[in-house]
Amino acid sequence: MANENSSLQLLANGILKENPIFKLALSMCPAVGISTTVMNGLLLGTAVLFVQVFSSLTISAMKNFIHPRIRIPTYTLTIATWVTVIDLSLAAYFPAAYMKMGIFVKIIVAFAIITMRLEMFACKETVSDSFWDGLGMGLGFLVGMVVIGFVRELLGSGAILGYDVLGFKPLLFFILPSAGFFVVGLMMAFFNWIEAAYAQRKRGNP
Amino acid sequence: MKNILTIIFRLTASCLVAGLVMGTTFVFTNKAKKANEFAREEKVMYSLLGYSKENPIPESMGLHEMFRYVVSEGDIQSIGYLLPAESHGEGSFNFVRIDLDGNFLDSSSVSISEEKVRDQKDRDAAVQSALGAGRYARFVDGTIVVTDNGNRLAYLLGGKFPGFKTHIAIMLALDPSYSILGLEVMEHEEDPGLGAEIEQDYFKNQFVYKPFEKIKSIDVVKSPLPDEYFEALEGKIDESAAVDVMKQYSDRDIYALTGATISSAAVSSGVRAMTRKFAYRLDILDHVINEQQIAVPF
Repeated sequence: MANENSSLQLLANGILKENPIFKLALSMCPAVGISTTVMNGLLLGTAVLFVQVFSSLTISAMKNFIHPRIRIPTYTLTIATWVTVIDLSLAAYFPAAYMKMGIFVKIIVAFAIITMRLEMFACKETVSDSFWDGLGMGLGFLVGMVVIGFVRELLGSGAILGYDVLGFKPLLFFILPSAGFFVVGLMMAFFNWIEAAYAQRKRGNP
Repeated sequence: MKNILTIIFRLTASCLVAGLVMGTTFVFTNKAKKANEFAREEKVMYSLLGYSKENPIPESMGLHEMFRYVVSEGDIQSIGYLLPAESHGEGSFNFVRIDLDGNFLDSSSVSISEEKVRDQKDRDAAVQSALGAGRYARFVDGTIVVTDNGNRLAYLLGGKFPGFKTHIAIMLALDPSYSILGLEVMEHEEDPGLGAEIEQDYFKNQFVYKPFEKIKSIDVVKSPLPDEYFEALEGKIDESAAVDVMKQYSDRDIYALTGATISSAAVSSGVRAMTRKFAYRLDILDHVINEQQIAVPF
């Protein structure tokens, strides 16, 4: 992956081709549980972005030091460290945001997407590639959370970012956790449809 | 064997580095975190009393904190109150012990500064050293008594109770006859759009102006909130008219939130229990204070 486009390719790979939520279907619990509003999605997505980037960098830089037999505990330790750092910093410098998502930040430790990226990518590749991969995956998660949050907030509360835009609540059901699966499912179908259409066009078929 | 040693060494080294990173962050952020929490609590306290930054609290008013402890001595338990002494000087607190029947046991002076008394660790240590060996004091809760020129104006109490999902923490302002002056939800994890509506003015302001007699038996009703009441609660009409409407409804139960009856019932039963217990405890404490002529600033 030494060509010129590699960093951009890695970035796009996380956002579109291997989007953590819509393509890899990883970290579904937070995607379903927390994405009830755009703001929640944005805040948690940003926190995940930071943890993913820092963890990828750390593991990639330390890859020769990590003994292969104990790599998973080391990943967890790394992630937990960065989550704690983010958690403490948020509580200290962004108290308003922290009040809204305090407990969600702590469960980032258990997000499958981060461990998976460390195992699949960061422990083999160079530091700069890992940075772009982490950034791409984090952004992919962030975008996914915001999109789901947008749909659920609009349909469930009739609002966007807390501002009442519809004046009524179309489907209260969309606030509940189970509706998250519906939205994720529909989004997955949408993403697959786009990809299929794109591939078909590339082949030149009508 | 060599493998094991390498693993042990590397894992230990990683843990040490991780601990160092986390510890450093903690040291850097802890002060700001505590300051944030304190600032929020203070802001809520002032807003419940009707003051804000633009409209600061007058000089003649005083906020006096008192702390309740459970003291155990072997199998025997008693209640202890850490009360500020009359003269607000350095280290002027009294620790008053009352037995479970409400009779005065003893009083000892505790020397701790006004600043340190807010920190639970320092306060616990001071109380423990005043009690001496053989007795163990456990902190239960703190209450703030608000006075104006020495007359009691309000009580501010915090409380936690189970909600629909996890716990709900609230702060309650009561007037001297235990009627409710204000309610603020400090922490909760209810569902957004459903139980989380307990934060909204149209729910929490329903408690305001409810007299103690009503609070003792308050419950929720599952009927729609009348429009005029909703507008008064949300502050959409001018203040004196809103107060009139809210007083009209002061003998009604709480209108439950649509789709969140359990959260609504949790808050109203929580408020009921907090107010009743507080009134009961304070009556006993006041009785003891008057009987023993203990000097307090409230």
